[in-house]
Amino acid sequence: MLQQIIALIIIAFFLARLFWQKQKKQIGANEFFFWLVFWFLAAGAIIALKWIDKLVASLGFSASGIDVLIYIAIVILFYFVFRLRLRLEKIERDITKIVRKITIEEK
Amino acid sequence: MKIFCVIPAYNEKETISEVIDKVKPLVSEVVVVDDGSSDETGKLARAKGVRVLSHLINRGQGAALETGNQYALKAGGDIIVHFDADGQFLPGEIEDIVSPIQEGQADIVFGSRFLGKKSNMPPFKKYVIIPLAHLINKIFTGSTLTDPQNGFRAMSKKAAEEIKIEQDGMAHNTEIISKAFSSGLKIKEIPVTVIYNNFGQRFSGGLKIIKDLILARLIN
Repeated sequence: MLQQIIALIIIAFFLARLFWQKQKKQIGANEFFFWLVFWFLAAGAIIALKWIDKLVASLGFSASGIDVLIYIAIVILFYFVFRLRLRLEKIERDITKIVRKITIEEK
Repeated sequence: MKIFCVIPAYNEKETISEVIDKVKPLVSEVVVVDDGSSDETGKLARAKGVRVLSHLINRGQGAALETGNQYALKAGGDIIVHFDADGQFLPGEIEDIVSPIQEGQADIVFGSRFLGKKSNMPPFKKYVIIPLAHLINKIFTGSTLTDPQNGFRAMSKKAAEEIKIEQDGMAHNTEIISKAFSSGLKIKEIPVTVIYNNFGQRFSGGLKIIKDLILARLIN
């Protein structure tokens, strides 16, 4: 119970920060919306932890609900790293195109 | 026929002058692509009176070759030869590699270390790295070339227009072969000699090539 309260306080802090950043126009509408949904989902998962425990058990997993949430988080993180890698690769190619254009025009 | 020799060079001050001296009399124009060298490679090449294209920053051998190709095409080149700056190829063999194109037998000609001529290849490279490279090329290109990692090649104007090198690093060898086959170009291999002054591509370099090829598949 105590851990859940601490986790919710941390989420509340990040949500407050998010609204503050939006107000200061440091982030765009899309990014704001993404993180808003993300933190609400996280808060919902923490509140419904017991229900998730039951759901996970009914699906036949031996791990508890919080473990499954961590597994899901790792999978999502891997996916983001992969997306980032592809994005980086495209940026690298674009840099080469720019360098080449400058090189040929400067010759 | 205007033959352009594209020499990608990254920190090759020890060998670049000698390579240019030997290649220059054999082709119409030598194009050195100084790939962001931190040494005097570009300066030395310029002193030899050849065209030097300088990348502001290092982008890799594949990127340098494509820069050279694009320049050569714009400058009216009929045949483009790719030649290393480290002195591992024999300039005398340029004639052999361009003649199938001049005679209309091929659009692209690849040099091979495994067609008779002797190269002093280190045993680990010969028996481990090269067979692995063969396997990787077979998987990615389906090609049956005898020496897929050889950087000594010549291409006609048509081939250079068809094959746009997008692999900035060393994976360009595999990419060029793959595109040559998929474009339906006339392909030929000829025996060449490679002199090993250093080991060349290492195992870790090979792994990077595989990673680059996989990433390229995912992006394209």
